[in-house]
Amino acid sequence: MPLLLSTHLSGYILWTNRVHGFEPARTIRRMKTEPTADLSDARHAADARLLGLVAAGDSAALGELYDRFSRPLYATALRILNDPGEAQDIVHDAFVAVWEKAASFETARGTAFSWVLTLTRNRAIDRLRSRRRRHELLETSALSDLGLDENSSGPGADSAASSSDQATTLRAAVAALPADQQRALKLAFFSGLTQEEIAARLETPLGTIKARIRRGLLKLRDQLANRL
Amino acid sequence: MNAERHEDLAALAALDLLNPAEQAEFTAALAQHPELATLAGSLRSTAAELAHAAPAAEPPAALKIRLLKTIAGDASAARAPIVTASRSTILPFPTWIGFATAACFACLAAYFAQAYFNQSALNSAFRDQQSLADLSLRSTKNQLAAERLIAQRELADAAKRASDSAALVTTLESRLAETKQQLITQGTLADYKIATLASLLGNSPQAVAVAVWNPSSQEGVLTVQKLPALAADKDYQLWVVDPQYSIPVDGGVFKVDPTTGEGRLIFHPNRPVQTVAKFAVSLERKGGVPKAEGPMVLIGP
Repeated sequence: MPLLLSTHLSGYILWTNRVHGFEPARTIRRMKTEPTADLSDARHAADARLLGLVAAGDSAALGELYDRFSRPLYATALRILNDPGEAQDIVHDAFVAVWEKAASFETARGTAFSWVLTLTRNRAIDRLRSRRRRHELLETSALSDLGLDENSSGPGADSAASSSDQATTLRAAVAALPADQQRALKLAFFSGLTQEEIAARLETPLGTIKARIRRGLLKLRDQLANRL
Repeated sequence: MNAERHEDLAALAALDLLNPAEQAEFTAALAQHPELATLAGSLRSTAAELAHAAPAAEPPAALKIRLLKTIAGDASAARAPIVTASRSTILPFPTWIGFATAACFACLAAYFAQAYFNQSALNSAFRDQQSLADLSLRSTKNQLAAERLIAQRELADAAKRASDSAALVTTLESRLAETKQQLITQGTLADYKIATLASLLGNSPQAVAVAVWNPSSQEGVLTVQKLPALAADKDYQLWVVDPQYSIPVDGGVFKVDPTTGEGRLIFHPNRPVQTVAKFAVSLERKGGVPKAEGPMVLIGP
């Protein structure tokens, strides 16, 4: 499983010269015009290939893609909405959107998983905001309740993490980040808050929050690369 | 734009945290720096991995069945033929309605944005006008205060001038009263008796005299001209003829200049004179006499 995660990430985390430019170590091409053969990431290639089949109308490919993605997507939706029924609706709608829009996926904009996750997470956040419970959730949600804290006492958190090598690797990478960067990334990913709201929530200047998100995300990328 | 700013934008985009201004900036940066898309893609993929850190949860098996049923229904109804036949030219209905909805939302968003900016501009204009009005009001208040002070000062000056004028009027009225009293005391010019005395002398026919008599003050002035020079033991004597007395009242004696024959006498009769009938001048012995004895030299009407 660690190998799966490493191959899944290896296609996009090689960033060689952040200071002097943006020349990536690898060229990522559009799925429509070029096959994924150049990608060394077998998992990513497999995901992208399945998505191509879905774009062609292959419902079996959609079922396989569901098996690969549904757990983290559902966990994310559940984490954001804290409602199993709504989380199921979100995942259902996200995969329907995948079925309808698979042809618009571009590998240059990220992995297939990140694309499907974006569809799911955006819907969950929209639902969260539309039901006007954000203030209530803000009042009741603690940082330790956001699923990334090693000390979290959330139901099933540890057992769930241990059940997934990907989750284990990810947790280790996150744990290696400075605490303030972890907090900023957790809120940014799971809370549905804006930058300003995150800054207010953490009582930290907005510029600092942006910097923490940037540094945290870059370090996380490097951490994941080092663990490959 | 530096590399760090690119990383900022890419990181925020990876977490869908860009605000509208940053979104525009990011889009422009992507157009100028194609390599930025790779960075953004890698960070978005990295961010997506955070999903694995959520507390693990297993979706119910029914969810997959529900999804596949939905897909099967959609595919059998419209999607499959479109995809296999001319997917590039004919959009499936759900896709079309999505675009239409998005277009409607875009139009509405543009409309409300325009309305918002218009209202913001209007509010800004109103605020500016209110500020100007407040400024003008404060200026007017200051001007009124200054004018009030000036008016108060002018009013005080005017009151002082009025007081001075009243005092002057009082003084003048007092003087006028005094003058009136003096005039009453002295009598009016119409009450004065003025008489010209003609010569009775054969050797000095040109001799003449004028007598002015004030009955109020019982005083008079006699002026003579061209009377003959007097001997050392003689005086001229004035007589006032009052009908209430049997003989003329003595008006006093006087002399004349020997060379010019001129003389002047302020006289006070030795008896109260009520009515002056005539004035007369006689030549008497020196020092005068109680009753005329000598010849008359001048006589008035």
